Amino acid sequence: MREAIEGSLAIARAVAMCRPDVVAAYPITPQTHIVENLSRLVAEGQMHTEFVSVESEFSAASVVLGAAATGARAYTATASQGVLLMAEVLFNIAGLRIPLVMTVANRAVSAPLSIWNDHGDSMAVRDSGWIQIHCADNQEAVDTTIQAFRIAQETELPVMVCMDGFVLTHTMEIIDMPSQADVDGWLPPFEFDRRLDPANPKSFGMLVTPEYFAEIRHAHHAAMARALPVIEAADRDWAALTGRATGGLLAVEGDPEADVAIIAMGSTVGTLRAGMAADAGRAGPARLLNLRAFRPFPAEALRAALAGVKHLIVIDRAISPGLGGIVGAEVAAALYDMPDRPRLHNHALGLGGRDIPETIYADLLAAIKDLDAPGFSVFDADLAKLAPEDR
Amino acid sequence: MTDDTRLSALRQKFGRPPAAPDEPATKAATATEAATEAATARTRQPRFEGLVSGHRACQGCGEALAARLVMEASGPDVMVANATGCLEVFTTPWPQSAWRVPWIHSLFENAPAVASGMEAAMKAKGRNTKVLAFGGDGGTYDIGFQALSGMLERYHNILYICYDNEAYMNTGVQRSSSTPHAAATTTSPAGKDRMGKRHLKKDLLSIIAAHHIPYAASASVAFPQDLQRKVRYAMGIEGPTFIVVHSPCPLGWKHASALTIEVARRAVECGLFPLVELERGSLSNIMPIRHLRPVTDYLQLQGRFSHLFDKDDPRAERERDHLQALADYNIAAFGLAGEGGDDAADTGGHAAVGRGGPIAGRV
Amino acid sequence: MAVLTRGAYADAGTSLDFKTGNWRSTDMPAHVHAAAPCHAACPAGEDQQAWFALLQQHDPKGAWCELVSANPLPAITGRVCPHPCETACNRAALEGALAIHNVERWLGDQAVAQGWAYPVAPPAVDAPVVAIVGAGPAGLSAAYHCLRQGLRAEIFEALPEAGGLLRSGIPATRLPRDVLDAELARLLALPGITLNLRARLGRDVTLEGLRASHAAVLLGPGCQEGKEWSVRGAVPTDLHEGLALLRKFMDVGAFPPGDRVVVHGGGNTAMDLCRLMKRAGAAQVTLVTASGLPGPDTDPSDRINVVPRELEEALEEGIEIIPHASINRLIMKGSKVTGVEIVSLRKFTGKDGHSERVSFGGTERVLPVDLVIPCVGERVSPEGLEAVIQGGYLAPEDIWGRLPQDGVFAVGDARGDRGTVAQAIGDGRRAAMAAAAMIAGTGAPPLAERPTIPASALNPVYYPPSRRTLVPVLPVAERGFETEIEGDIGTAAAMAEAARCLSCGNCLACDNCWTFCPDNAVIKTAELARDGSHYVFDLDYCKGCGLCAQECPTGYIQMLPETL
Repeated sequence: MREAIEGSLAIARAVAMCRPDVVAAYPITPQTHIVENLSRLVAEGQMHTEFVSVESEFSAASVVLGAAATGARAYTATASQGVLLMAEVLFNIAGLRIPLVMTVANRAVSAPLSIWNDHGDSMAVRDSGWIQIHCADNQEAVDTTIQAFRIAQETELPVMVCMDGFVLTHTMEIIDMPSQADVDGWLPPFEFDRRLDPANPKSFGMLVTPEYFAEIRHAHHAAMARALPVIEAADRDWAALTGRATGGLLAVEGDPEADVAIIAMGSTVGTLRAGMAADAGRAGPARLLNLRAFRPFPAEALRAALAGVKHLIVIDRAISPGLGGIVGAEVAAALYDMPDRPRLHNHALGLGGRDIPETIYADLLAAIKDLDAPGFSVFDADLAKLAPEDR
Repeated sequence: MTDDTRLSALRQKFGRPPAAPDEPATKAATATEAATEAATARTRQPRFEGLVSGHRACQGCGEALAARLVMEASGPDVMVANATGCLEVFTTPWPQSAWRVPWIHSLFENAPAVASGMEAAMKAKGRNTKVLAFGGDGGTYDIGFQALSGMLERYHNILYICYDNEAYMNTGVQRSSSTPHAAATTTSPAGKDRMGKRHLKKDLLSIIAAHHIPYAASASVAFPQDLQRKVRYAMGIEGPTFIVVHSPCPLGWKHASALTIEVARRAVECGLFPLVELERGSLSNIMPIRHLRPVTDYLQLQGRFSHLFDKDDPRAERERDHLQALADYNIAAFGLAGEGGDDAADTGGHAAVGRGGPIAGRV
Repeated sequence: MAVLTRGAYADAGTSLDFKTGNWRSTDMPAHVHAAAPCHAACPAGEDQQAWFALLQQHDPKGAWCELVSANPLPAITGRVCPHPCETACNRAALEGALAIHNVERWLGDQAVAQGWAYPVAPPAVDAPVVAIVGAGPAGLSAAYHCLRQGLRAEIFEALPEAGGLLRSGIPATRLPRDVLDAELARLLALPGITLNLRARLGRDVTLEGLRASHAAVLLGPGCQEGKEWSVRGAVPTDLHEGLALLRKFMDVGAFPPGDRVVVHGGGNTAMDLCRLMKRAGAAQVTLVTASGLPGPDTDPSDRINVVPRELEEALEEGIEIIPHASINRLIMKGSKVTGVEIVSLRKFTGKDGHSERVSFGGTERVLPVDLVIPCVGERVSPEGLEAVIQGGYLAPEDIWGRLPQDGVFAVGDARGDRGTVAQAIGDGRRAAMAAAAMIAGTGAPPLAERPTIPASALNPVYYPPSRRTLVPVLPVAERGFETEIEGDIGTAAAMAEAARCLSCGNCLACDNCWTFCPDNAVIKTAELARDGSHYVFDLDYCKGCGLCAQECPTGYIQMLPETL
């Protein structure tokens, strides 16, 4: 049913439809509306779940770890500092191969303090072993959240659904909410064989000697590779039910014949869609790549999507100081073996909530003509605001 | 296998002589049979063995003993969240686990939160298996303290056991907030300018009790029946409960492995480790000390206090007196001095055994 | 190589695959059944700890059976023995020794009252027959233990009644005659024992005859002849030797006249005489003894060798005791003694182990007396024993009582180095064992010597305090010549007293080792633990920490070097 609702409420309702047994969360801007809405659903009796109001994100992650390990469908949500406070637990959840779902309302990481959106938080835990999927708009966020529960339990990997803070979480959009019956029919009940079970007691979280650690890490990596088709299949099945595809690993939009491509994650994709439409071909055609799965990284799908592309603009909403763009570096690595690989133009954009206007589309396309441009730049930085010695 | 062959296999394993001179020589059992049958004898123990042999705790480990006693009193319908620490490491080097209940270790500081999640999951599924959370003093007094406070405040139905060996033993004996005053550790060594730890042992139990939880208690491995009674009592309570168990560490406290119980007993008998129970924050019971001992009886058994017995160091006597004053404070504050005699509820009464077992545990 | 599980989990209890037993560096725990000090001190060979253990399990009959496996006469020894077991008792250092003799007496009385059968099987009809001379405690014990060895026993007693010194030398106030008769009757009724009364050696039978007719000969004739009493000065014409005087009194019920009596000696006969004469009307009775009185500083070898409670009762009754003294000289008026000269002395043990008495000149003093009675011991009456007697005694070669003559053994007071009923009973047991071994041709029986467990090996923390039961005693004014002075302990108090036993050196089944093992390496199993305990050590896992040994209350667990 299509309705105009705020992104956070939509996510809360989508989570509720997945009937999690346990939800634990600690409020942090801009994730708060999700938690508040979930609390309200519980308080109103519209959602039957054990809602654990923890005293920190660290405990939030630990509670869902314990719950999922006990065989419960578990969910949490956080952002920014919360992601970093959780970091130790996030690695632990993934290493234990415990399936659960977390929404990250992406936000910049302090200092300086910023409550606004960028991807610095989820990027900080990109190596934690979680599946990370970014959403371009709230419809995608709702559909991805539901898919995430299925992906998690099929892969026995935890899934992080990333949606841009404020830009998506606090924005009213018209969303086609699935029905409870649809979700019940599509999402199987949570079954987890490796659970804490008095009838079959096992020990989890053991000490592993050097003799076996490398194999465990290899197995985790291989599981990520096997997750790629699972993510695609989940989207196909969901599309078959609802008629809506999220794009799976990577979606190609815009002009499929264009030799210029822009790749971005999250709401930037939405902005570029609008920019492309508003530009109406004046700046030239472009392929628009919506990179949804950052982990596992869909290198093969990416190469296929870039056939014939000469210029690839990679948008980062985070920065790895000393390196530059993180997505840029990973895309470059993925294209390394590609014959006729495109030239890369890597830009960080919209850090700490800097507004990205629709005109960015034309600006980005224009910038590829500057042959002297550095391989990476903070595209929208006004260096005049810096003291000369800090530029 | 017949009962006779089984017995003979066991006898071979245990090297027992025949029961009578005219008993025929027993058939040699294979090593496999003997091992299998030893396992059978183990499973026939008249107690629940939640923590079995083959764990890698040091000789005379107080924590291993405490955990074993807790499991006996609480199992088998329990599951455990265990903080990082000796207990976790020595029981679960993959692929061998010493636990016979569902058990999980996540991190150092989150056992109470993991346990909260487990309890929430059981509640969501409408099941009753009790969740236990285990931590050492590092995981409880220090790094996991916040998570513990949250767990207590949220009123989860969890029994938290702190195995208190008064330092970070797993990393090689560094001081914790539970390390007693003046004890030497690798991060509070005694030297020209320092007499061991400068600060006091944190009064954790009072802080725990201030959460107004139904039950909080201290116990000691030297008084196993009392410890197990407290565990059973806590098991019967719906809500958060907490027991701190004094568990000597021969390696870290520097005493002979055979002295674990004696050291723990003296800690209680000198007043430095009072055995108390608090219900809803109010003192409800204590174990009176039949014969009060000077703290030096306790200190002198342990190398971590050896600098307090340096005859040439005038600070040594002062620190001994300080520790005695701390013990005296506990004795006065909790009314620990017993009446001597033969009080079944005091330290002497709890220790008493007779033919067939402890007297205190008899109905 | 193990196959990795997803997330590296493990199945329950798999650590049992990891045998930590090889962590032990030097010592391993072992059950060491050391002798309790009561057992080690018992001349009769009783294992008091063993029968107290059965009493603790509420099995009085079992306790009695265990007791009579060594001593068939507990109702008697419970009354007359000076109970060195109580002196040795490790509980003495806590709240006082166990009242072992009271409980022993109670068990003996219970057996008589309940008719509990002795745990002996009748010997075969054609079993070898051992001749036993004398139906005193040594001979009776020997006869009983012959049955236990599968032999038959034929006793030759010169007197018309069995009992020997029990009947002739111990007053009824200590050993009532009905008790004596009842216990002896039960023993003598055992199939396999034949008793010939009025059969005197040298008159009715001969040693050589017995040697020819029987498989072995055990000589327990006792000591019937008073030793010569050597004091400087004249010997009074009416001198009465102590044991003879006592026997005469027990026959006719009267003493020679005399208001002021000095008894010289330090044994039970001297003590009995003092007390009986006082009760018979003597105004002043003084015991002069070379030994010391019991006290914390008294060396055990110097302590007066009487039943401790008899000493206490004697003092209550007004007997004066002069310790560390000897009679130096008699002061006579004509042939009648009027005074004794006393001198202080001490016994010293030289480097060669022999004790020597040293008198201290200048300490001489004179006591006026009407009667002086030496109780300095007796000798064997040589009649019929001429071939074997040496220096007044039958001095055997060893503890088995073997005499140089093949198949002849000496037991009891006749050995010359004995002095108590319990020793005589022990002699009887050992000689019967040795005789059985000889008959079977297997040489000397094995000596089952176990080390004695000292008090320091116990962990007293685990024993609740428990005071010794006080048994009622007749008030001094009511003490006469028939009524037994010490009362019965009673069932409840006997059981309570049994509960006080520390079980030194033996398993108390207290579960401490099982409870305190951090490694679960103690398995509780009655069926596997064939050593009387309830536990075995699983050395596959024992790391050798020593906690079990440290916390074993009884010292039954000890850390021993690995030998296996």
